[in-house]
Order: sequence, then structure tokens, then C-alpha cells
Amino acid sequence: MSRRLAPLFLLLVLACAPKATCQADTQWTLEQSTLSYHMSHPMHQVDGVSHGAKGKGTCYAGQCDFLIAAPVNSFDSGDSNRDLHMVQVTRGAQFPLVIVRTRIPEQASPLGTIYADLEVQFAGQTAKYSHVPFQVSTNGGEVKITGTIPATCSDFKIDPPSFLTISIKNEIPVKVDTTWRAAN
Amino acid sequence: MKITAISPVVRGIAIWCGLAVAPLMLAAQSADAAREIAELPSAPEPHLAISTISSGDSQEQDEKQQKTDSQSQPQNGSAPSLGDLGFTPEQAKPNAQLQALLDKRTHMLKIHQRLGIITVFPMAAALITGPMAKAKGRNGQTITEPTQANLDFHAALGGATTALYFSTAYFAVFAPKVPGVQRRGAIRLHRALAFVHGSGMIATPVLGAMAFKQEQAGEKVHGIASAHGTVAWATTIAYGAAIVSVSWPIRIHH
Repeated sequence: MSRRLAPLFLLLVLACAPKATCQADTQWTLEQSTLSYHMSHPMHQVDGVSHGAKGKGTCYAGQCDFLIAAPVNSFDSGDSNRDLHMVQVTRGAQFPLVIVRTRIPEQASPLGTIYADLEVQFAGQTAKYSHVPFQVSTNGGEVKITGTIPATCSDFKIDPPSFLTISIKNEIPVKVDTTWRAAN
Repeated sequence: MKITAISPVVRGIAIWCGLAVAPLMLAAQSADAAREIAELPSAPEPHLAISTISSGDSQEQDEKQQKTDSQSQPQNGSAPSLGDLGFTPEQAKPNAQLQALLDKRTHMLKIHQRLGIITVFPMAAALITGPMAKAKGRNGQTITEPTQANLDFHAALGGATTALYFSTAYFAVFAPKVPGVQRRGAIRLHRALAFVHGSGMIATPVLGAMAFKQEQAGEKVHGIASAHGTVAWATTIAYGAAIVSVSWPIRIHH
């Protein structure tokens, strides 16, 4: 490349850098969501549910980037004492959001099963889950995506809470039930 | 078109435009970034560790790891950011003070739980030894007084129960409260029962002391002191129910 072309390329790069000039092809907004973790103890089975997640997806150049986040303190297990303890052990005051990022090809099958690689930030740690299956179905203009993230306490360096000196199981699978709507 | 085909004037204008517009664009970008940072400091600040988990077997995992690396979740220019989601700053702001309060609360409640379970043993033993510390026989008949050893042993168990009970209560009463949290679930029944066994744990030793005094005077326990045993049983039942209530519903799972 000629050195004389460099200023023109610089101009092009700078012009394209701001988001406004590089519009995404499609944007998705999270309409409804139910996230629920399951905690298992020899004496208890507990599900904590959150409807407080927010999410966005943008598709650009054949790839779709999705970001979903939920406040840790929005999970309700039906017992405020347990929920506060959950926030404490997951360091939820210091790291108040659980954040999930994923990228999938735009041409991924619109119906049936898709496999996604997820990056989950939670409790000050980041864990990656690869090839997680999600079921996709459509209803009118909405797309419903459901699946289970195979999370464990150790993935996020969480000391499993104990009851009567017996710890809960390491596995805390998180069920995801989301409904998305295309914004444009 | 060759570069030599661009006249020096056009090239000059292009470069000038680029240099003139670039600061504005950079300023816009930094303004965007500054707004995002100000509004939403990304919750998990330090990526202390990254682990990769695959839902498949280990061979698959390697492939998927490569796949993950090649797709490495990363933000292209159009990827949504936390600022796009619309969380309030309060929802996204790390709060070290609240975390410290929660840590202290959990620490105190764990001690409360342990002491509470330990208290069950002297309490049960005091109930079992209660009849052995009681004079037997009806009025007008020969009354068998309890031995001094039985009386002392029962009184000692009662004293230990009382000391442990109020230590247990201290760690619940003085555990820090988290502002703005509405109590839900089993904890409400647990607290309601605490008023029952709390009153009982004040009344039982007082009645016990009265009964002990009457026994020592060679009298059969009478008056309000005769309710010592009944109050002790009611207190223990309420105490047991309070322990079970925070464990409810119990679903044995293997």
C-alpha cells in the first residue's frame, strides 16, 4: 500500500468507528424473561426465580451478539432470608449483575435447537460454557428461546452454602426462558 | 485510480477534512464511553478467573474450546453494552459497604444457627430430668422429696439452657438488618415463634426458681410455680417448631 493512501484509509476508519455510522442490520430486545436457578440439598430443593433480566441483541455482518443481564438480588426463592444469604455468598452486593454474552451466526436455524457458546460473568468470575443447547420457537413476531446453563458453584468460586453442616450440591443449573422481539 | 491521479488540491482537501472531523468523532466516541462508564460501571469489575465448561465430553470440549476461542465473545462495534440495557445506577453499582454488612449478617446468623442447635441438648435434658426434680405424692399423703443431686442437676441444666438460649437470641437480634427488605417465607413463622419461646424462656427459669425455693422449704410446689413444667414443655415445643420452620418444607432427596 502506498504511504500516500494512508491518510485516506485513516479517514475511512475514523469515519466508520462511531456506532452511528455502523448501524446493525437487526436489533433484538428482550421482551420477557424467566431465569431460575435450582439448588439441591439432601433436605431441600429450592428454585430461585428472576423476571428482572434485560437484554439486547444486535446482528451485524452475519453475526448476532446478545447481552443479557439480571440483578443478582432480583432472584426470589420465596424466602427473604435465603435470598439475602444467596446474595452474600455470591458477593452480589459487590458484583450486582449476572451477565451473559453470546454470539451466534445470524443464519442459525430459526426453529429447533441452536448451540451457543456463552460467557457468564457472575460473582466476580467469568465462566465460559460451550455448545449449550437452546430451543427456539416463534410466535408471531416474537422468538422464544429456552435452555439450561449447566452452572456450578465452583465455576464462580462460590463456597456452597450448607444447612445442618451439609453443603448444597455443586450443580446450580440455571433455566433460561426468554422472549425476544426484533426492533427493526 | 492511481494515487498520482489525485490532484494535490483534492488530496489536500481530503486530508484536511479527515483531520478536521477526526477530533469530533473521537470526542463523540469518548463521550459515549464516558457516559457508559458513568452510568454503568460493569458489575464484575475484575475478571478474576475464566473457566471454560463444555456440555459435551472432553474431546468435544477441546473442539469447542477452539470454537469458543475463534468466536471469542467479544465485542464488535455493534455489540450491545451494559449501558444499552437501561439498568439504574443503583442496580449496577458495586456496594462494598452492603457486601460487608451481608457478610457480618451471615456470620452472626451462622453462629445463631449453631448455638440454637447446641441449645437443644441441655433443653431436652432439662425436660427429661424435670420429673426427677419434682416431689411426688398427693396432698394428705406421704410426699417423696427429690434428692438434692437431682434438683441441682436439673437446675444446672436449666441454667445452661437459659445461658445458651439468650446467647443464641443475641446473635439473631443484633445481626445487621438489610434496609428495604420485606420478610417473606419461613422466616416470618420463625420470628413469630420466637415471641412464644422467648416469653417461655423468661418465664420458665423464674417459675423454676420459685419451685426450687418451695422444694427447698420442704413444701410441695404450689401456686404459679406449679406451671413451671407446663411452661417448659410449651417453650420447648415452640422452640422445636421454630427450628423446623426455617427448614420447611423438608424434601428428602438422595
